[in-house]
Amino acid sequence: MKVGRIDGWRVGGWAFLTLLLLFAVLPMAWMLLTSVKTQFAAAQYPPEWWPHHPTLQNYTRLLSPSSDVGQEFLTYMLNSLWVSSATTVIGVIIAVPAAYAFSRFRFPGRETLFYAVLLRNMFPGVVFLIPLFIMMRTLRLVNTEWSLILTYLTFGLPLSIWLLKGFYDNIPPQLEQAARIDGASRFQAFIRVVMPLSSPGIIATAIYSFVQAWNEYIYALTFLTGKEKLTLPVGLQQFFTEYATDWPGLMAAAFIMSVPVVTMFLILQRYFVRALAEGAVKS
Amino acid sequence: MAQVRLDDVVKTYGSVPAVDHVSLTVNDGEFVALVGPSGCGKTTTLNLIAGLLELTSGDIFIGDRLVNDLDPKDRDIAMVFQNYALYPNKTVFHNLAFPLKMRKLSRAAIDTKVREAARVLDITHLLGRRPRELSGGQQQRVALGRALVRDPLVFLMDEPLSNLDAKLRVQMRSELKRFHQDLNATVIYVTHDQLEAVTMADKMAVMRGGALQQYDAPERVFANPVNTFVAGFVGSPAMSLVNAQVLATPGGAALQGSGGWRCDLSPRNARAALAASDGSAILGARHSTIMLHAQDTPGTIPSRVYTVEPTGDITYVHVFLGESFIIVSVTPDVRLRADQPVWIEFDQERLHLFDATTEQALRAD
Repeated sequence: MKVGRIDGWRVGGWAFLTLLLLFAVLPMAWMLLTSVKTQFAAAQYPPEWWPHHPTLQNYTRLLSPSSDVGQEFLTYMLNSLWVSSATTVIGVIIAVPAAYAFSRFRFPGRETLFYAVLLRNMFPGVVFLIPLFIMMRTLRLVNTEWSLILTYLTFGLPLSIWLLKGFYDNIPPQLEQAARIDGASRFQAFIRVVMPLSSPGIIATAIYSFVQAWNEYIYALTFLTGKEKLTLPVGLQQFFTEYATDWPGLMAAAFIMSVPVVTMFLILQRYFVRALAEGAVKS
Repeated sequence: MAQVRLDDVVKTYGSVPAVDHVSLTVNDGEFVALVGPSGCGKTTTLNLIAGLLELTSGDIFIGDRLVNDLDPKDRDIAMVFQNYALYPNKTVFHNLAFPLKMRKLSRAAIDTKVREAARVLDITHLLGRRPRELSGGQQQRVALGRALVRDPLVFLMDEPLSNLDAKLRVQMRSELKRFHQDLNATVIYVTHDQLEAVTMADKMAVMRGGALQQYDAPERVFANPVNTFVAGFVGSPAMSLVNAQVLATPGGAALQGSGGWRCDLSPRNARAALAASDGSAILGARHSTIMLHAQDTPGTIPSRVYTVEPTGDITYVHVFLGESFIIVSVTPDVRLRADQPVWIEFDQERLHLFDATTEQALRAD
């Protein structure tokens, strides 16, 4: 190590990272700051950089079931929670055994099926908008949560299966064999030995499907018509048009929307990072 | 403990036979090694006994029970894997307790048995650790412990020592042997290392290409290999094998090889050699059964030294036999150098003869 010499690359690296950080954080900070301003303060020019009279009024309004706005907002939120949770739970229930089967069993058509699973990812999501809408109409699912849950599943499952298969590939089959010899049935061996080892992967795929479903906009906009069915992204869009001038309210709503996802990430991030690293690199 | 019997066992993958009509009986309390080069079907055979693979045809009995259709968990066996297969998320205690827990033993009984096994294997101080915090040797002991706690009918071991370093392997080899003697356990042990098989097993089953070649006590396999494969596989350095023509002589028979060498055979060996189809045989001799002379002596074959390999307590000399080489061992005080002329003498009593076409041993009746 040379002491005292300024390493150009290192300084450049730090500068670049700082820039990226600002780019990511500033909009969120501004969102947060705006959400605690009064409507008057938010509309001022030049902007009021730091709120002089911070208020939580926007939040209380959005979260109180008694107000009109609150009622609407909470309905959207519940819809979103229901759609995202159902997508996540069903996704995991399907992806775990599917990935395990792809990893462990040799059956006719295995390769073909596996690549077929990935085929979906080769097309931009919008391409399927009209076909799926027609299918949903035939199934009489338009304007129901199930139209979204099914759609999100078709989008989320391929990656979940792919990621989890990488996980199962890295768990030596001898562990299950040992468990089966030690007195476990095939299913018990899976539940008691393989599942705990793959939990980081399961958690990661669960987060991924949840976030995808939570943030999705286009399909929700197309499939849902009734106001009482809307999910948050579409609901916020309605806010934006109905209450065009209410910037602090909109920002507060956006902030509340980001809370579940951010909390989940903070709690589970170490699993997520581990999962991505382990699934990607075969040892 | 129990006997294990394989009756005409076949396992094929598609049309490829991995285990090809294998029949063998492992008696109660015996330590049997399945040995052969990689891909010979030894691990597949073990997995068939364990029930991890399904038989294509044939029968497997453990004790007097036909186990063909039984799940591994119902066969009352224990297995030690090459990579140990310890449950990485469980402590050593819970690794050992798992087989007992699956058999629904009471908590107190589990605790007693685990501690007893840990004491025997000297791993009591490791009970609270997780597998990744253990050295290879310690992991090996835990794997053995997990097999031991249960008192199974049969122990199956799949190359349990091959991930250990050389020194530890020698130590564990003797511990395993001692463990077998103390428990009087039935052990089926898979290895590619013929030395492990020879040193530990009561009987060894030599396999090649899915087929059982020879099944006998190691010293008998060593002394009477049934074919050139077994002859070359068992023993280190390998038995020297040289092709030769069988010549009938007035007194009996002689072998003659390319390069002009000629070896007269004892009457007994002559009778065996004359039975060779097409009159061509393979001569086999272990390094310790060949003598080197410094002068031309009656009954010897003139030759010269190719290389000399001193190993400390024994020196291996590679010597020309016509156009082939054979390996001869001499004591370290014998000084030889490359290209030095020597005269070879075979110990006729311990000379092996094989049919050049079938590669099967030729024996005088």
